[in-house]
Parts: sequence; C-alpha cells; structure tokens
Amino acid sequence: MKGLLMQQDGAAGDLPLDRRRFLVSAAVVGGGMALGIGRGGAATGAGGKPVTGPWGPDAAQGSEFSPWIEIAPDDIVTIRVPQPEIGNGAMTQAAMTVTEELECDWAKVRVAFASIQRNHIEKGVYNVGFQGFFGGHSTEPDRMAHVLQLGASARERLKAAAAARWSVPVADISVKNSVLTHAGSGRTLRYGEVATEAARIVLPAEPARKPRSEWRLIGKSSPSKLNIPDIAHGRATYGIDVKLPGMVHAALMQSPVQGGKLKSHKPEAVLKMPGVRAVIVLDPAKTRGVPAGTKQAATFGFGDCQVQSAVAVIADHYWQARTALEALPVEWDAGSGAQWTDSAKIYAAASELRGKDGARTVKKAGDVATATGKRVVEGDYGTPYCENAMMEPLNATVLVTADGAEAWVPTQDQQQAYWTVIDETGLSPEKVKVHQTFVGGGFGRRTQADDVRMAVAIAKEFPGKPVKTIWTREETFRQGRYRTPITTQYKAVLDDATGLPQMIMGDVAYVGTRPSFMLPLGFSDQPYFNSGIIPNVRLTSANLPITILNGAWRAPCYNSHAFNLETFIDECAVAAGIDPLDYRLKLLAKWDKAWSDTLRVAAEKAGWGAKLPKGEGLGIAISCWPVANMHNNGSVIATVARVSVSQQGELRVRQVDVAFDCGSVANADAVRAQVEGGTMYGLNACLNEEMTVKDGAMVEGNFDEYPMMHMADAPVLNVHFEALSGHERMAIIGEAPTGPIQPAVGNAIFAATGKRLRRTPFRTQDLSWS
Amino acid sequence: MAPVRFRVNGKPLSVDADPSTPLLWVLRDHLGMTGTKFGCGIAQCGACTVHLNGDAVRSCQVPLESIADASVTTIEALATNGGAHLQQLWAELNVPQCGYCQAGMLMAAADLLKKTPKPTDEDIDGAMTNICRCGTYPRVRAAIHRAAEKAA
Ligand code: FES
Ligand code: FES
Repeated sequence: MKGLLMQQDGAAGDLPLDRRRFLVSAAVVGGGMALGIGRGGAATGAGGKPVTGPWGPDAAQGSEFSPWIEIAPDDIVTIRVPQPEIGNGAMTQAAMTVTEELECDWAKVRVAFASIQRNHIEKGVYNVGFQGFFGGHSTEPDRMAHVLQLGASARERLKAAAAARWSVPVADISVKNSVLTHAGSGRTLRYGEVATEAARIVLPAEPARKPRSEWRLIGKSSPSKLNIPDIAHGRATYGIDVKLPGMVHAALMQSPVQGGKLKSHKPEAVLKMPGVRAVIVLDPAKTRGVPAGTKQAATFGFGDCQVQSAVAVIADHYWQARTALEALPVEWDAGSGAQWTDSAKIYAAASELRGKDGARTVKKAGDVATATGKRVVEGDYGTPYCENAMMEPLNATVLVTADGAEAWVPTQDQQQAYWTVIDETGLSPEKVKVHQTFVGGGFGRRTQADDVRMAVAIAKEFPGKPVKTIWTREETFRQGRYRTPITTQYKAVLDDATGLPQMIMGDVAYVGTRPSFMLPLGFSDQPYFNSGIIPNVRLTSANLPITILNGAWRAPCYNSHAFNLETFIDECAVAAGIDPLDYRLKLLAKWDKAWSDTLRVAAEKAGWGAKLPKGEGLGIAISCWPVANMHNNGSVIATVARVSVSQQGELRVRQVDVAFDCGSVANADAVRAQVEGGTMYGLNACLNEEMTVKDGAMVEGNFDEYPMMHMADAPVLNVHFEALSGHERMAIIGEAPTGPIQPAVGNAIFAATGKRLRRTPFRTQDLSWS
Repeated sequence: MAPVRFRVNGKPLSVDADPSTPLLWVLRDHLGMTGTKFGCGIAQCGACTVHLNGDAVRSCQVPLESIADASVTTIEALATNGGAHLQQLWAELNVPQCGYCQAGMLMAAADLLKKTPKPTDEDIDGAMTNICRCGTYPRVRAAIHRAAEKAA
C-alpha cells in the first residue's frame, strides 16, 4: 500500500479549515519580538458569544464593531482586509490605519482576509474606494478615510460603554494602548472588558476624525509587515500550501500553442499508474456562465480569463499526477498560432503597422511638418515578451459539490476570483466561497483569475473532493499572460538654438491579444508631451492582435514605454550636446517642480557629473505611474544607474540611486521596500528577460533559460526620500520604479561604451568596446 | 520498495512512496510540511532548501530513495536549530516581501553562518544563490551581516 506511515506525528495532520489560521500576528514595534501565532481553536480566549453570519467560518470570535473590526475579550483587535497581502504590506497598512484612530495597542492587532461572499451578501461592505479587493493600493484615499472613520467610531463606542459602566461623562474618559482611563478617579478598563457592550452602542453622530497633523502612526512609524514571523517560521499559508481532508492533486497541461485545441490523448496509458484517479479534458465550451438574472461584478471582466483547451491528471499525490501527465500521450492541433514561427516575425509584423492607416492618433499638438532644424534624431526602440515569474507557481484548490463551490486561491483580487468561480460553475453567488491565501508574488499575473478558472474547470469534473491544481514552473512560464511587447519608432527635430525638440513623432506598435493591455501610460501622458515645452507632437499607436495571451506585468505597458521614451530622450540630449540631466531639467521646466527635484536628488546622490574612466558610466531616467499628465499625481521616479562594462563586454550594474515623489508616505520602510523591489524587477527585465516564440509556443520554461539576478548581481541600491513634495496624496508606489531603471542602465551603458542599446534584454547584446 | 525511514526535525518517521519522489514533495505532500517551498524543481531557485545531515541542499533534487537514515531539518524547526535570531532579524529588518522565497533564504543563510560565522560580501554572494523575485537581496545581505555582528 502506498501512503504515509508515520511513527510519530509532529508536523503532519490537516490544519483546521478555519480561515482564522490565516490570521497573522503583530510584532512589537521596535523590539521586533514575535508574539503568538494566529488564534487557533475556537476556544482561544473567546469569552463572548461570537457574532455569526452567513459567511460561517469567517465568524468573529469577539465583538464586531463593523465588518472590518472585531475586538475580543482578551483585547485582540482583528481587522478584516479585502486586499490580499502580495508582499507590499497592504494588510499591515490597513491595520495601521485603523490603529491610528482606534488607539489600540499595536501588539494586539491582527489582520485577517475579508470574505468576498460576505461582501456580496452584505452588499459591498468591503468594497470601498477604487477596486476594493485589488491588491494594489493600500492608501487609496476613500478607503483610508472609511477605515479611519471605522476606527474612530469603534473608539468612541468603547468610551461610551466605559462611561456607562462608571456613570461618568464620556468627556472624562481618555484612551491609550487599548486602555480606557477615567480622568477623575484614575479607574481603568481594557478594551476587551467593554467590547461586548460597546459593539451594541449606536452613536448619535459619527465622531470627527483626527486632523492629519495629529497622526502619530501614519507617516510617523514604520512597523514591519505583520505576517513576517509566520513567513520566517514556515507557517504562512500560501495557495500552494492549502491542505484539506480528502484532497487530491492535479497536474495540468494546456495547449502549448495558446488558442490551440486538444486533438487526441490516450488516458488508458496512464490510468493504471500509481495513485492516478482520473484524466480530465478541459474545454471552454463547458463553462456554464453566471446564472441568468445575476449581474456579474468581476473586477476585470472575463475577457482575459477563459478556459484553455487542456488535459489534467488527478492523483492522490502531486508527484504521481505530474509523473502520469508527463507519460500521457497527447496530440494538439496548434491552430492559427503556429504561423508565428519565431519572435522576429511577430515584432516585424507589428512594427509594420506603426504610423500607418489603422494607427490611432493618441496625442497631437501643433504641426510636426513645420519643424525646422539641422539635427534630426531617429530611433527604433522595443521590449519583448516577458513572464511575471512570481516565485509561487500558479495554483488553486477547489471543491465543487452538487450545491456549492469553494476555492482557496493566492489571488491578487478576490472579487475577480469569486465571479470567475461563479461563471465557471454556473452556481449562484450565495453558494460560492472564495478563501484568500497569502500570495507568493503576483506582479499582475494573478489579477485576471485565469488560474482560478482552470482549477475550477478541473474540480468541476471531479466533484465532491477538493482538488489542488499546481502548474509546474514550465507550465507557469509557457502559459503566461505576458508583458505586452511594445516597439516605438521615434523621431525628433531639434531646435538649432536650444537643442530641445521642436517636434517629436512617436509611432507605437503593441502586440496584444486584447486591447485591454494597450495602455499609453509612460508614453502620451508624459509631461514632455503635455506641458507645452515641445510645440509640435504627434503620437500614434497600432496593435497586432495574435494568439499569444498578454496581460498585466508590473506597471503594464508603462514599463516598456519608459524604456523606449527615456532612451530616445537620452539620444536627443546627446545629439544636442547637452548633459542628459540638464536636458531633462530643461524639458521639465514647465511642469511640477517635484519632477525636477527627483532628478536633482537622484543625480546628486549618485555623484552625477564626475569624470569617469571609459568603461564606466552613469545613466539617468525619469517617469511616473500612473497617469503623468495630471499635476501632483502618481509616483514620480528618477533613477540613476552606475555601470561598468569590461572591454570584453561584461556588464556590471554597480549602484542605483532612486529619488521619488509619491506625495507623502504612510509607512516609510514599506515604501522603501517597494521602491527596492520595483527597481530590481525592472533591472532584471532590462538585463535578462525575454520569452521567445517558436512555432506559436513559448520556448523558455524555467529559470535556467530565463535568468534571474542573484544576490551577487544585485547593485548597491539607495532609495532617497529628499525629493518628497509633501503633497497630501500617498500614491501607489510598487509599479513606478520598474520603468526608469531600464533606460537608466541603458543610458549608463552608452555613457560607458558609446554603444546605444535600443532593445532589451541587454544580456543578449554585444557590449564589448575598444 | 520498502518504506524509507529517516528523521525530520528530530522525529523518526517512515514514508512509503515512489522511490523517485523528491524530498520536497515527500515533505510537502506526504508529510504535510509545507514550509519548504516549490519554486522551480530543477535546482535553480533554492526555495526548497532544507538541511540534510547538517548541510543545505535543494530538496527538489533529493529523491526519497537516497535519504534512508538521513536527518532532515526544515524551516519549521529552524528556530530550535539555532536560527531563531535570524528569524527575528528577518522581522526587524522587514526582509520579506511576498515571503515565498524566504524559507529557502533562511535555511541557506543559517547554513552559511554556521560554516562561516563572519561572512564577507563575497562569502554571501557565493552561498546565497537563491532567487527572490521581489528583490529582497539587499535586505537579506544586511540581515546576514547583522546576525554575524550580533553573534560576535
Ligand atoms: S524548487 Fe528546488 S531549487 Fe527551485
Ligand atoms: S520575497 Fe517574494 S520572492 Fe522573495
């Protein structure tokens, strides 16, 4: 008999299914001492009767002050957060925001994932502000205001309850660190001691929130992420770690050419292999659709989230499923995708469309034909297909029964996942539950829920048992929703007197299955084209729709436009004979001062202007995500890279200095970490990353073919706060740094070697010099 | 094949599975110990790093049949095997982002510090070849240096 024989059971055994195991514990601020782990069993400290709701396992252990806030008798404050924790600290930020007004003890704050099903049943209680369940924006202003208000309200209700207990005026009660104190008598009560009464109190009017100037946590303190102790002890549950009683495992193979169809397979060849339970065929025609009369509310719709033709093997253990799938004879009909024999053919076909009839004008000012000047700068720039390559391979665990479905998913957007399960099963929303897990990296790949879709499609064919589907790394790589390839043909005519462009023409070609990932961000929204500094502008875009699926890749499209545009601007500076920093400062003279400040700070810190030997160079670039043509908007990032290139062409990025303006920061160290992470992500893209195409299928399958920087390759990375404008926005910060690092490195390579790189990745290009 | 007997985190146990099953999947799937992560399956990423008889290894490359009588330590028991201070520094310095690679990072770092209590940057570069897609390398390096200072 195959299976597990345990002499002693320490680590094995199913974890409770309770969502509470996803609770994470707080670290003591400053001390960093880990407190206890999540509240395991129902018995833990739960004195009062839990408030229950239709969401079952999400039921509270303490008293609910709102769907977001619960306080238990032992003072533990649990904050339910609709946004996932994908590494950016979004959940910790929500906890900080509540704590600011609630005045609770940070060491007693826990966060938990909010329930999308409850959100549906209670008509949007968590869906506050822009894309309420999306993993991005933890300081979105409407959501922050809402959560601050909930914290203030809970605090005042606690005070009112204490006042009633003591029969004293509320005004005589003060709060600090989860303790209520009566001024006259010095009597105290803990939050947990009055939580039950307080939760029942309805205030006559909502209390005013603190003025921003009185915040003591937000913008003042930098607690590290609440889930780190669980991560560091191997306790954090990612999607791939979900364990359920009776669970079986699936391995998946989709048509290697996207859009292809299964032609034939021989399940009998593997059905007798050890542990194998079933071989399943997946077909888009089996999608049942959202029930009639139900209006779907998927965050991003289903356009990029359809079943792909595929086969899957279900077995008792994952290794058995995978081994059997590898042995399964399968034939595919590649379909029309096979015409794309290699990448070059795709990019050539796309480039052909640029500026032609069909291309759309996205920006027009003056008349580009009127420009005169002796110096003309022209270049063709581009970035290829790239894979998100998050470290946790795609996976999801799904249980479909006769009258319900439940999914455990490492998604970047629970709402998208929820409606996808509904759409695939045809069940009514009340019968569907989605459980958020921790997310082992997203970078956009886990936004559309196509992974959830495939896992549901498999589990639907094997009802009554939870099925965990794990993509191999190779399947994850070759079934991506890739970075949109973008090529741009730029042309400028420089003014004879100033050297600044009298006109710029830019013709873009996207390669995109669907127009949803043809974003002009980092392109036509840039201040160069919107401040009036360049009198004549004409920008167009065209699209080549093909079978290969593209999608969100950290700061979609911006990450390519920033490379193309800022490399071109560097060429203009060189042609004008003006220092690239000064040139950009001149070009931004009519725009927000913050842009120039970021450039100056990054340049100064990097030692800009120093005379360097040949083979060493500094490069600079700037951009802003998202939407740069509004004043005081988004995160402006200026990056300076310092490189050395040996005569043989060996490139080393030595140091990177980043200055930014996102307005204000809520948690400085969390912002710093995101700037570091976004910069490293862009750095790897420009150095190393390209997915290549052969006969319609993706070639690269793993990190041996798609290299990632290692510790040894990482530059010294300095993040500078001096350019922060102090504007009240706390703009989204994880995406913006991914752009400028790429042209900064390319421009530095030019400074070091005289070689101008107009394509990424640099790894494949000859950088030798003499 | 007969069940293979070995120790995980000090506990003797025995697993009966296909002899080619990688230790990674034995741990995760047969023993339910999911702290050790699957990243690539081909020895590239280090997410699956465990200690085998005291040395860091990539468990996706270790077949079950090769570990008879061996002693395995995983992230779940790092704290009781001399790694508690590292884990605490990981929180203090806010090292992880998504955290998925960090079990492997910690297991590799603990191995490095055991063998080289005062590692130079070059030592760290040589020993820490784990992949982190979130870009935590500067913080991992800082935390290792800090751990070495504290131990001194
Ligand atoms: S999973 Fe073993 S090295 Fe990547
Ligand atoms: S922290 Fe996300 S992969 Fe390393």
